Amino acid sequence: MFYMLEAVNWSQIWVITAVGYSVVFAALVLLIFVFKYVPKVLNMQLKRKLIKQGKYVERGDSEEQFIAGEVNAAIGTALGLYFSDLHDEESKIITIKRVERRYSPWSSKIYNINNVLPTTHR
Amino acid sequence: MVSVLAGGDASAQDVIQGGADSGSALSKGMSTFWNYTGFSNITLGNVVMLLVGLFFIFLAIQFNYEPLLLVPIGTGIILGNIPFIDGFQIGIYEDGSVLNYLYYGVVKGIYPPLIFLGIGAMTDFSSLISNPRLMLLGAAAQIGVFGTFIGAMALGFEIHQAGAISIIGGADGPTAIFASSKLAPELIGSIAIAAYSYMALVPVIQPPIMKLMISKKERLIRMKPPRAVSKTEKILFPLIGMILTLFISPTALPLLGMLFFGNLLKESGVTERLADTARTKMIDIVTILLGLTVGASTQASVFLTKESMMIFVLGAASFIVATAGGLLFAKIMNLFLKEGNKINPLIGAAGVSAVPDSARVVQHEGLKSDPTNHLLMHAMAPNVSGVIGSAVAAGIMLSFLM
Repeated sequence: MFYMLEAVNWSQIWVITAVGYSVVFAALVLLIFVFKYVPKVLNMQLKRKLIKQGKYVERGDSEEQFIAGEVNAAIGTALGLYFSDLHDEESKIITIKRVERRYSPWSSKIYNINNVLPTTHR
Repeated sequence: MVSVLAGGDASAQDVIQGGADSGSALSKGMSTFWNYTGFSNITLGNVVMLLVGLFFIFLAIQFNYEPLLLVPIGTGIILGNIPFIDGFQIGIYEDGSVLNYLYYGVVKGIYPPLIFLGIGAMTDFSSLISNPRLMLLGAAAQIGVFGTFIGAMALGFEIHQAGAISIIGGADGPTAIFASSKLAPELIGSIAIAAYSYMALVPVIQPPIMKLMISKKERLIRMKPPRAVSKTEKILFPLIGMILTLFISPTALPLLGMLFFGNLLKESGVTERLADTARTKMIDIVTILLGLTVGASTQASVFLTKESMMIFVLGAASFIVATAGGLLFAKIMNLFLKEGNKINPLIGAAGVSAVPDSARVVQHEGLKSDPTNHLLMHAMAPNVSGVIGSAVAAGIMLSFLM
């Protein structure tokens, strides 16, 4: 085992470790920077568009432009509950009703197949 | 059946014919049949692995530990360790067998990118986009990967094998399988089983480390609620993420490309059908095939080795190091953050990937200290960035060692 360890090029191992770990950080730090500034760029574009249309209103506190996720979740839940509850008003009484049908030869008990079969009366 | 009964020199006629020979032919046939059965060929290794398979299924059903993975893997372990005689195209390592065909997707690294497609289609990156600095925690936890790499080298593994084993520290099964299929195909079974076992045991491994490293006061920190993220940002994230990360680590293309593609299907709003298929039916089919074949690849004759045992030890160490790395980095971040902007260091543990179990553990531990402090939303940010981080780390390992 010690022989094997001596044969390992440890400087290469440390280089892979250091470079590898730094690259992982670099990739994610780059994403952090991009996504820190993307909302600002998007808001600038929106602002320009609104100013062009004359609809832009200056706000003192720029933090107010976003609604917190929890508020959104609460609104979403309320809407979900409201829409899932929407259905026809029902009597809420479940029972078996006796249905009175008007007479029709189609539902007649006299003209059914049992009664048309020839019968012999002696 | 007749040929089995006949076996050796005896023919079917010998068995059927009457006379004095019939008794000996029948006994010969029966003994040949016995030789073909699992009871005759069983080894101690098979028994051990069968018990391991049953234990996995027990963990999944009794404790609900990653059942979608452990039930297929456990069943696969049982299938892979039913003793048989070679030459009938039965075993997973025999050319032409059904299991061998299915295993091709593991050996060639086909299944992991498909799993990533499904993960991308079911992941909501909103919490990450709303608080991008939490991505650092996902990067910090990758210390598990590089720490394991050094550990594996110190234990005497060959450099490619050490690279493959190190990805267990990324706590991401598909990434570990993908990397080992390229770097050390002979270790796929051990690496996959170690990665998935420890992922399932995240609720057991992480809480003691959290308790050890994070004080009661720190655990009570409340974080600002994440801001709402616009649809444009959500669409831009997979596109920018794909281009940026793949330019840095092109070898991670099959994994990260599929992850971001899946997320684009979800967020674009015009491919809901495709996203729905990717996150439901497709990922389910691939999970079944992957779990079953990875399990079946653990035939005792190739699995129960000293190397496998060392991989298990390294796997446990890598999860501990990764968790500790995430927690420590969160504490360090707090030193530079203003009061009111501080983060709860518990969420650092979610940087180890293992989506979504480690985020759930953070939520659970947070609630133990303060029943009104919900950390799940915040923990999802380092959790999904851990997926990106471990795929980048795997890509770097591949580019250095292939």
